[in-house]
Amino acid sequence: MKVAKTGEGYFKLVASYKKETGGWAWIIHRISGLALTAYIYVHIYALSTLTKGKEAFDAEMALFQKPLFKVLEWLLFAFVLAHTLNGIRIVLVDFGKGSFYHKKAFAYLMIIGIIAFLVMGYFIFSHEIHQAFAGLL
Amino acid sequence: MKVTFRIFRFNPETDEKPYYKDYEVNADPKDRVVDVLHYIKNEIDGTLTFRRSCLHGICGSDGMRINGKNMLACSILLQDLGYTDRDKTYKKPIVVEPLPGMPIIKDLVTDFTDFWKKYEAVKPYLITKTPPPERERLQSPEDVELIMEASKCILCACCTTSCPSTWSNDNYLGPAALLKAYRFIFDSRDEATDERLDIIDTPDGVWRCHTIFHCVQACPKEINITWHISQLKKKLVEREI
Repeated sequence: MKVAKTGEGYFKLVASYKKETGGWAWIIHRISGLALTAYIYVHIYALSTLTKGKEAFDAEMALFQKPLFKVLEWLLFAFVLAHTLNGIRIVLVDFGKGSFYHKKAFAYLMIIGIIAFLVMGYFIFSHEIHQAFAGLL
Repeated sequence: MKVTFRIFRFNPETDEKPYYKDYEVNADPKDRVVDVLHYIKNEIDGTLTFRRSCLHGICGSDGMRINGKNMLACSILLQDLGYTDRDKTYKKPIVVEPLPGMPIIKDLVTDFTDFWKKYEAVKPYLITKTPPPERERLQSPEDVELIMEASKCILCACCTTSCPSTWSNDNYLGPAALLKAYRFIFDSRDEATDERLDIIDTPDGVWRCHTIFHCVQACPKEINITWHISQLKKKLVEREI
C-alpha cells in the first residue's frame, strides 16, 4: 500500500497541525523519552570511571557537585517527571477510562509535576539557598 | 464583513509545485466555509476544485484542513473559526488546505484509494457462521448501545489524515478503519471476532495508536475514537491472558 505523497513532510505536518492537549503531551513524551535514552548512555559512560579506581571516581563526583551539573540534574529530573506522569496518563487512556478525562488528567499531573520539580529544586540547591539567606537569618 | 481566504492550489498538469492563493470576499459570519468556497468558484475563479455532495455533514465529501485542523467545510461557520477581533473582522486569512498527508489530485481534492484499502482490510461487513434464523438476528438495546457511537462514522477521513502515526507510516490502518473494526468486533451478531482481532493485532494495527487525540479533535461527528481504540487494545490483552 505505498503511495507517493505530494504535500508536506512529516515534521512540517506535526509542526503546522493545530495541536491540543493530546498533541502537546505526545510531543513532550517523545522529546523526554529521547532525552532520557540519551542520558542512560551518558550515565553508563560516567560510571565507567569506577573501573579506573577510587581517586578517579571521587574526582568525577566532585565535578558533579558544581552548580552547572546541579542545574543539569534538576533539568534531568524535569524530563523524568514529565515522562513518568504523562506515562500514567497514557496507561489511564489505554487501560482505564482516560479518553474521557485525558485533558484534565494531563493538567492535574503536570501541576503535580511542577510542584515536585520545585520541591526537588529546594533539595538540590538547599546548600546554596542556606548560604544566600545566611545573612538574613 | 471582508475576509481573506488563503487556498491551497495545485494542478498537476500545469503547476510544478503547490502554492497558496488569496481570495478576498464579502461574507457573513454565519456563512459556512463551503458557502464561501462556492462563491469563489462561481464568481471569482472557476478553476478552484473541491469535493462536496450533500452539504449537510452526512456524506463526508468535503473534509479539509481549515486553519490547521481537519474538519468538514459544510459543518463550520466562519464565526466559529475564532479569528474575529472586536470589530468582527478577520485580520488573519482563513487557510484552507486539502487533508494532510494525502496524495493530491487537484487543489483540495485528494486521492482516497489508500484510505479505502485500509477500510476494506478490516472487513467492514457482518460475518456469520451459524445458519440464519427464520427472522432477523436480534440485538438487545444494550448490545446496540455498545456499537451505537462507532456506527455514526461517515468515513470523511478527517481522523485518519489528522493522525501523526498515519503521516509517518503509510501502512497504519488509521482511526477510521480501527473504529470500523470495533463496530464489528463488539457487534453481538458477528461471529468472526478472532479473525478480526488478528487483523488489528499488528504493529500497523491498534499498537501504532499513540493516543495523540488528533482524531477525536478532528471528528465532525464527535466520536471518541481513542476510547474505541483503547477498548480494542483491552480486548487484545484479555485475549492473550
